[in-house]
Amino acid sequence: MNWVTWENVGVDRMGCAWLIRRHIDSEARFLFVPRGSAPLPEGAEPFDIPGVRLSHHAGHCSFHAFLQQYNLDDPVLSRIARMIDEADTVQEVQLEPVAPGLDFLCEGIRLISPDDQSALDRAAMVYDALYAKLSAEVAPT
Amino acid sequence: MWRKLKQLGALALQDAAWVLPATDRCQENFQWLAAEIVELGGEALLFDGELLVGDTDAALRERFEAPVRAVYQQVLAELEQPQPDLAALSKQYQQTLRHDYFQCPLADQVRKKLLTANRDA
Repeated sequence: MNWVTWENVGVDRMGCAWLIRRHIDSEARFLFVPRGSAPLPEGAEPFDIPGVRLSHHAGHCSFHAFLQQYNLDDPVLSRIARMIDEADTVQEVQLEPVAPGLDFLCEGIRLISPDDQSALDRAAMVYDALYAKLSAEVAPT
Repeated sequence: MWRKLKQLGALALQDAAWVLPATDRCQENFQWLAAEIVELGGEALLFDGELLVGDTDAALRERFEAPVRAVYQQVLAELEQPQPDLAALSKQYQQTLRHDYFQCPLADQVRKKLLTANRDA
């Protein structure tokens, strides 16, 4: 299915796109529209746009909204959601030392990518790596 | 004054206006906080403003820079003391960097001093 978000993706949307591809819709196609553009294209699920279902809610990032809306109950994904919360939103409590680094790297990925689609593709590796490393911590063998 | 403003048909913005430098990051932070306020049943308006009366750009900027500079100066002073708490001071440096919107030149001094102090410790 089609998914739409604003142009110039960052840490939260890179995480959301990775989550969509890995856990929700392996055939996902992403559309990018200019910030603030309305109306949004028909037939595409919007995410990380203010006011939509899959967006920031109650001070949490859009990745967090995906976990709730799709009932993804996985402690590793919850840790990633917390990291993106701290990277992308204003949080009084900061528990994840990785968060600022994750944000910084994702901004760098956007800088070296010719367009938003390739930025999402490249960032998937960062999130795969994060997931693997956290899995090893959460469930040590 | 209230009646004079009403006579002009001016809008009264309730409670508060908050100002940040116009960077993409600040705008995004404001955008999400505005969404959060609306979700809580409040009202939030986000303006990209231009200062016309009451203050100069330089003076407004100084209001962001002064507290940042004060922390850096304090850290530099503490680094001159015997046995400074390098862990605490480096943490303070990192936290202050996040509000250092105008790249205070003291930041680089603090960083160099912390590195030097670390070598000498």
